[in-house]
Amino acid sequence: MSDVKELQQERIGIFNDVHDNKVPKRVPVNLSLSFEATAQFAGIDIAAAQWKPSLASEAAEKVCQTLYSDSCPTGGSLRFPSFYEILKSQSFIMGSNGFIQHPEVVGMDPEDYDYLIENPYDCLLERVIPRQYKALNLNDPISMAISLTKSYLAYQADMGEAMGNVIPLVQKYGYYPGNPGGFAEAPFDYLADQLRSFKGINMDIRRIPDKVAAACDALYPILLKKGMPSVITKYSRVTYPLHMPTFMREKDFEKLWWPSFKRLCDTYASMGVGNQLWCEDNWTRYIDYLYELPTNTVLIFEYGDMKQIKEKLGKKHIITGLFPLALLKAGTKQQCIDKAKEMLDILAPGGKYIFSLDKIVISINEREMENLSAVAEYVRDNGKYSNAGETAGMEFNKEDYKTDMGRAFESKYYSTWEQYKNMNNRTSDIGKDKLQGLEERLFQYFTSLLI
Amino acid sequence: MVDLKTLTGAVGELDEERVLEILNGFVSTNPSEEEAQKVVAACQSGMAIVGDLYEKGEYFVGDLIFAGELLTNAINTLKPVLGNTGSAGVGTIVLGTVAGDLHDIGKNIFKSMSEAAGFTVADLGIDQPASAFVEKVKELKPAVVGMSGVLTLALEAMKETVDALKEAGIRDSVKVIIGGNPVTKEACVQIGADAFTTNAAEGVKICQGWVK
Repeated sequence: MSDVKELQQERIGIFNDVHDNKVPKRVPVNLSLSFEATAQFAGIDIAAAQWKPSLASEAAEKVCQTLYSDSCPTGGSLRFPSFYEILKSQSFIMGSNGFIQHPEVVGMDPEDYDYLIENPYDCLLERVIPRQYKALNLNDPISMAISLTKSYLAYQADMGEAMGNVIPLVQKYGYYPGNPGGFAEAPFDYLADQLRSFKGINMDIRRIPDKVAAACDALYPILLKKGMPSVITKYSRVTYPLHMPTFMREKDFEKLWWPSFKRLCDTYASMGVGNQLWCEDNWTRYIDYLYELPTNTVLIFEYGDMKQIKEKLGKKHIITGLFPLALLKAGTKQQCIDKAKEMLDILAPGGKYIFSLDKIVISINEREMENLSAVAEYVRDNGKYSNAGETAGMEFNKEDYKTDMGRAFESKYYSTWEQYKNMNNRTSDIGKDKLQGLEERLFQYFTSLLI
Repeated sequence: MVDLKTLTGAVGELDEERVLEILNGFVSTNPSEEEAQKVVAACQSGMAIVGDLYEKGEYFVGDLIFAGELLTNAINTLKPVLGNTGSAGVGTIVLGTVAGDLHDIGKNIFKSMSEAAGFTVADLGIDQPASAFVEKVKELKPAVVGMSGVLTLALEAMKETVDALKEAGIRDSVKVIIGGNPVTKEACVQIGADAFTTNAAEGVKICQGWVK
């Protein structure tokens, strides 16, 4: 076996061990610069690179040559300007500095709750998406159809082009390739982010909490479907960025945010699919809730007390995140290494730990990169276990969890294969994968427009 | 006349229904402008309670947002009896999210809490270049300039904005406060701001200290 293949096998081994309740040989290093940071680090105009992702191809390679990581240290992006701009997006807009951001926008009025609760997918397509994407003007159907087609083609092309930068690097440098997974949101966050807005949801929590709860239940099957990996393996995971809880009172969180999210995590777990949470901001006051999630949930922390997190959650869940990005900017190399050492001392013992940063890196300069590289190499060289192969904490069993699919996902804008066959009874079954694949891809695209 | 303490308490508890019930009852008695100003002051005291509860960790950002909306509704309800003269503001703040950054939730919370404390706020909006701050400061001669941002990159834009104020020769005529997720003491020094905060309630208190 070549050295690179061997290295890749070692990396797959240490990540899989963490997910398999085993103490790995060493702590996996999981660092990844955003697409924008990758381009910027190589001196490429980030706006241009986002319009033509292949411009960042050499930049991606430069990052791999500079920064140690066991997973690929650069990646694609969820957001490229092409497909948003074509649709005249209100919710994703490129700022004057070239970063696509999400301004506060309202896609759903309080009067729309009843329709959302009754017919959630129809409401998203008929009301919410056209409000957030002005090119989807229901009064101008031909232009709308053209804009939507262009946007979808741009989406596919740019996502593919960006992954074309990354995939060869995974093989060339022998990185851990990851596993097929899914991406979703907590139903409450989905309702908050682009339907009701940050301000709107905070009004609703106090004014119409029952409708908020019913809306989360109505959105549940959509989010469950959205996050479902197309192929389920032992290592499949659904990732969620978690947005609203730290801005809420616990009593509102407990009643309105948590129930539908917990059901989502349990249902995936019952199918053998893991959950991976970006615990944005500081989740200390919700630490006991996190404990209740299915065993081996990956918890990416931004802030919080390391010792408390390890003590309360470290035997059940997989802990990651927490290394302060700000220290790379403000600290010396030695201070950064000292922090990494402190983290290894506290978080590594007993396994179930992956090294990563507290935030996504959206820009990085030479000095910060030197600090980050020093940290990554320190963890690689010093995060070794003497008890590799031993059992690490609690074991995950999918039988421990209950499946709850929620109400059936139905919409006049989505056909199951059976429904399609009833309408077109001469269609060959050979066409099933193709036709149903298109249906699923469009479902993913539409629901992504609101994440 | 309404029981001002009850009103202050209801605002502090964010009991919207009760607040609006009291205010609607008050307006229907056709009160004098002077009485109306006392009621406004009682609502503002309620907002100070909200700020205190936030600092104590009993309220969270969502509650501040609700409080801002509640106060706007309260003032709107009182408008017919407030007259046009209004009370003299305690000072003017020129506020904006700095260049490159499109986030406005934190800025808006600070704005509504500053207004509740009696400031007049000129809100420039989001992604505002240094020149927009400079022009507005020249025009309004405010006591305070507030710069907001969420991205770490906002820190650079804040520094550029302060530098532009210096270049225009107006830096020393205003106090500068920066707010948002990435601001720190070190960043404040480097940017050349007078104060920083990640807490809107605290930010308002700092501004109050400056205009005393």
